Amino acid sequence: MGNRTLTFKIFRYNPQKPEVKPYMQEYKLEEVSGMTIFVALNKIREELDPSLMFDFVCRAAICGSCAMVINGRPTLACKTLTKDLPAKISLLPLPVFKLVGDLAVDTGTWFRDMAIKTEAWVHTTKEFDPTALEERMDNKTAQEIYEPDRCVECGCCVAGCATANIRADFLGAAGINRVARFMLDPRDERSPEEYYEVVGAEEGAFGCMGLMACDDNCPMEIPLQTQLSFVRRKMLAQGLKLKTEKVAL
Amino acid sequence: MLSQRILTKNPKADAYLDAIEMATGICLVSFLWAHMLFVSTIILGPEVFNGLSEFFDIYLLSYIGVPAIAIIGLIHFVVAGRRIPTNIRDQKIIWQHAKQLRHTDTWTWIFQAITGMAILVLAALHIWAISTGWPIRAESAAERMQAFWWFYLILLALGEYHASIGLYRVFVKWGWFPRKPIFFVLKVVTVIIVALGLGAMWVFLQLGGAA
Repeated sequence: MGNRTLTFKIFRYNPQKPEVKPYMQEYKLEEVSGMTIFVALNKIREELDPSLMFDFVCRAAICGSCAMVINGRPTLACKTLTKDLPAKISLLPLPVFKLVGDLAVDTGTWFRDMAIKTEAWVHTTKEFDPTALEERMDNKTAQEIYEPDRCVECGCCVAGCATANIRADFLGAAGINRVARFMLDPRDERSPEEYYEVVGAEEGAFGCMGLMACDDNCPMEIPLQTQLSFVRRKMLAQGLKLKTEKVAL
Repeated sequence: MLSQRILTKNPKADAYLDAIEMATGICLVSFLWAHMLFVSTIILGPEVFNGLSEFFDIYLLSYIGVPAIAIIGLIHFVVAGRRIPTNIRDQKIIWQHAKQLRHTDTWTWIFQAITGMAILVLAALHIWAISTGWPIRAESAAERMQAFWWFYLILLALGEYHASIGLYRVFVKWGWFPRKPIFFVLKVVTVIIVALGLGAMWVFLQLGGAA
């Protein structure tokens, strides 16, 4: 491969310095073999501009920190090889999440709020006995739970979602996928009514417009559309059964 | 929670709206495809077309069907339209998002919103045209087609596009069919229906000269 010179156009803005308006800064870099966007960004920071802000931890698509919009699409910087991209590469921070600066966003707060809203833990009345053997689960159920559980909370599905871009209260595919995970878990004793409280509204399952950008942009290739439709069907069945009472005025 | 929210809280509402959006949509697609099959009987000859039309008149099916479809269409417009952002800030976000993402199913949704609004106007004009020229017979239909073929060409294209993409989205949204095969099946159905529609238009235009 003849070494290309890559031109990066990177979004620059520091909310701490609002007097400097947001702009796109250009950097030129020699491409090396096996280069990922993550490697390129580190090189830019080391050799060209130490002020550039971006997130990373694991560099192996496990932590989900380095998600950003690469040539228009949200994905993980560490999983994106420059050889798969044209010589001009634009980098933007993920939308929807709070901008920390340049390419760095705070996905942590969003995901924590989502976990609290969806009560993302096993609800059980059983007393935990640390001396007893762990309850067994059949392989099929375990596999089914594992599928949505592969989510690394990178936020690409939320960033790619048109609804999430205009509705701050929308749970997004990550949130609905999380609910699907607990619905599948036989240890979680929550009833359909209780789940309906969590996702049976426009902020949850019924807010999804079915554009499938979450599914198409998930770096972990989780079948999000399948999870979303599973929750949607369950919630519709529950919603149609629901009896409500009005306050008599 | 705020008191006005507590007093108007209806946890069923969002589920029902989603169900109504789907049900009215499926009704309208079924109607459209049946309608195109009925119209294309002109290909078999004006006698067949007129026979079918008289059948619908005798059993008063047209007098129930036309207003019913108009009402279902209106409900569908309001319910499905609730998803269209109406403020300028959100509008700008949606367009910016779609242009940046270059994602087919995001663009098809934007076109869905645009074609939906166009169909509301065009279908209303179409209903007005057939109602004022009642009853529907091969001769009157041919005259209409002669004068307004371009109008029907636009309505056919927009209607078929909106119906097929809408049905595709219903199927994947509810997870009833896998995405790729259903998209292919709907494309084939759409090509057939559009071909029938164009065939019927062509026959009407031939008849128009004689009438």
